[in-house]
Amino acid sequence: MLRPLLPCRRLPFTAAAVALAIAASAHAAPQVTRLTPPSNPALAGASTLARFLPDQKFDLQATVQPGGGVAIVRVSFAIDGKTVATLDHDGSATDQFTGATSLVKNGLVKELASGSVVASVRAYRSSQAGLHTLTVTATDANGALTARSGQFEVVPLTTAAGKPAKNIIFMLGDGMGASHRTAARIMSRGYLQGMAQGRLAMDTFPVTGMVMTASLNSIVTDSAPGMSNYVSGNKGANNMEGVFPDDTVAAFDNPRIEYLSEYLHRRKGTQLGIVTTADVFDATPAANAVHTASRGQGTGIVDQFLDDRHLTGLKVLMGGGRKWFLPNPSNTTSPQAANGSQRRAGSDYVLPADIVAGWAAAPGKLDPERDLIADFQAAGFAYAPDRSTLGKLGGADKLLGLFAYSNMNVAFDKIAGRRGASTVVNDYGFPDQPMLDEMADAALQVMARGNDKGFVLLIEGASIDKQSHLMDTDRWLLETLEFDRAIARAKAFAEQHPDTLVIVTADHECSGAAIIGASMVSDAALRALPATVADKRNKVVGVYEEAGFPAYAMQADGYPATTDIDRKMLIGYGANADRYEAWVSNPQPTRDEQQPFGAQPPLASFPASVRQRNEGQGFLVTGQVPSSQAVHTGTDVPLSAFGHGALLFTGVFDNTDVFFKLGQLALKGVPRTRSR
Amino acid sequence: MGVRLAYIAAVPLPLADEMQPSLKTCLTPPAQACRARRGLLAAVLACALSAGAVQAHGDVAGPSLPPPVEWQIAQPPGQPPAGVSDLKFAEFFRLPVGPRGLEPSARLLALNGQPVRLVGYMARESAPTAGRLILTPLPVTLGDEDEPLADDLPPSVAYVHFSGQAAAAPLPHLGGLLRLQGRLSVGPRTEADGHVSMVRLLLDEPASKPLSQLAKTAP
Repeated sequence: MLRPLLPCRRLPFTAAAVALAIAASAHAAPQVTRLTPPSNPALAGASTLARFLPDQKFDLQATVQPGGGVAIVRVSFAIDGKTVATLDHDGSATDQFTGATSLVKNGLVKELASGSVVASVRAYRSSQAGLHTLTVTATDANGALTARSGQFEVVPLTTAAGKPAKNIIFMLGDGMGASHRTAARIMSRGYLQGMAQGRLAMDTFPVTGMVMTASLNSIVTDSAPGMSNYVSGNKGANNMEGVFPDDTVAAFDNPRIEYLSEYLHRRKGTQLGIVTTADVFDATPAANAVHTASRGQGTGIVDQFLDDRHLTGLKVLMGGGRKWFLPNPSNTTSPQAANGSQRRAGSDYVLPADIVAGWAAAPGKLDPERDLIADFQAAGFAYAPDRSTLGKLGGADKLLGLFAYSNMNVAFDKIAGRRGASTVVNDYGFPDQPMLDEMADAALQVMARGNDKGFVLLIEGASIDKQSHLMDTDRWLLETLEFDRAIARAKAFAEQHPDTLVIVTADHECSGAAIIGASMVSDAALRALPATVADKRNKVVGVYEEAGFPAYAMQADGYPATTDIDRKMLIGYGANADRYEAWVSNPQPTRDEQQPFGAQPPLASFPASVRQRNEGQGFLVTGQVPSSQAVHTGTDVPLSAFGHGALLFTGVFDNTDVFFKLGQLALKGVPRTRSR
Repeated sequence: MGVRLAYIAAVPLPLADEMQPSLKTCLTPPAQACRARRGLLAAVLACALSAGAVQAHGDVAGPSLPPPVEWQIAQPPGQPPAGVSDLKFAEFFRLPVGPRGLEPSARLLALNGQPVRLVGYMARESAPTAGRLILTPLPVTLGDEDEPLADDLPPSVAYVHFSGQAAAAPLPHLGGLLRLQGRLSVGPRTEADGHVSMVRLLLDEPASKPLSQLAKTAP
């Protein structure tokens, strides 16, 4: 069975993780200053850091710095004492590539000594379960030797009872902590006499656990490792997707870890779907399919979605981000007609030869002039630029949906647009954007068709996080409701396809949101109060029994008629930046008159501020973080599971543990021990 | 003016393009006059833009308001100076955005390289860049703390580049509508922040000067 975190492993080589100078003259010996996969310090009882499923690919890498300026002549890699690669320095200043190995001498971070090399062995894999020792030995021209060892573990797959799970639907509410879930339930289902009068779709999942979300280099993760930790089984550093840190400056050459999508596609032919309300290049969607040390490399990221579809089985890609898919030949041709393209050579990708050889990855090209929509279409993807087209493409084999220029507009504005109460989506130029549940339906339809090998489908409610950063309470609440409606679609699919697992979780909590109570006054009275602590706080914030049970009126479209009710629910932020709190719904983008219902009382008389959100309308709340926005927090997040194998997801576990649970379920099924 | 205000109140669209006439409204009437029009959306907005309009604060002392900023930078509203064209964000591209990207209007292309005036909001950025601001048709707070380049900018924005004292350090956020005059530049260019801009407004040093004055009064 799977053990969370695999605690209390005594390392076989207690001193192995530190550099060991073998040479007689220690001062002249080269040094291995980074060894990848990363290992723990040699502490008794430390958890094994790097873990892989049997046969899962990952790169081995060592940074070697010369001692006393003596040239490095050889770097060799051994696993459990058996040599897997020996790389001889050819004496030149040119990078060396031999098959799936390399000695890189250029483009290294400036902190390294002159003559340093980064040696790589790409796409290593082992099917032998257990703890393994990686030893790198470096030799310099004087014959001085240095060896450094680390360890990694191959986690066994366990004999199962019953069949493997065919489909995995990963519902990722970006930034969605327990408070976001609770607040969405209060708003949409209501409470009476202490009892919730209904359940969110995610509340109805039979199993819930708690997830630890830290990244490789921080207790507080960002969204890149926040996602990739779930689907690679290893801790990534902030801003990195599907790779370990390295000592080169290039963004696309870092040591890779095979993603769940790639692993299952290679092992059993699953296909991949990615659906998000964000720009599709954003961290969460990208961290399911693209390997990069820099999450901002949009051109290269979207190119690899297509170029490496033979590795992931990409079948559906939907969200915002059209700007990355349009040709932008302006680097070479001027003047160039503006089409909104964000493509540029500086954010594009070209892979080193060893990665191409080891991973069978597309080599890439710096091609801002590429027409990526046309290339997707040539590869058999039907293209939906809006909801109307999407509704007609349910019969497509593969689907590309790009519904906005960058991030899609949020539910608050999309719904208001559909009700005719707001023109925000028109002002953005994308009046016909789908809701996430509509995208989920289309994706599930396409993923399920002609697919007997199963699929991995990520569906992200992206702007729960983005609006929480902005502490826009009303907007992240509707984002959470929109996400929950998509969860209901996934659950319905799993009910019809019982070989499907659905998990709902977050990559991290965002903003330290907390339900602190409810307003004690009407909306009109709230707006009329002066913007002082004595008035807008002390006369408004009802705590404990003063809060009662805020009652929102829901409309048939699934969203509240207004979030600005009398005695509305109030949210506080524990990870907040300086801000003004007025409690009333606030537009983001801040445009008071464009709120839904803006033309109706009471909002029609809402004193607009176009200076700073709520300044003059709210009292100043001094933030605890020196930032212009709220930040992510290190709080554990809930994970709820439904369907095949859901029972594996109970307890408190690490985000990397989820990968091993998913791998076990997809390849073997529920372990026999758990099924009992 | 009354006719124009009524029109704006009837159409709840506070796009920068729509707000230009209301600026003039606040140039002249005292705060009391603004308060009298409280029921009108546009008038309320105009009040909020005015130093004398304290409706948003009620009658108590709130944070002190900076002086009105819009018309310090602006050329006087009304007809632009000879040889200068007024351009609106809504005139940049065909809306809705086409399935294959933005389609620049003939007017935008015709004004490329010409002096124009634009009215818009300065996007609030967590890490502003010295010497440039992003002028938007809607007030925007860029949530780029955790999503660099995955932003919430509308397609129709102008990157404004300026020089002199105003460019010595990143400009603090300037609230309200800004009317800026500069030379229009159209076509994709890579900006220092990694974005590719489609439309730029290039301010010469004299045109940049009011920005540094405004920066001193910003909260």
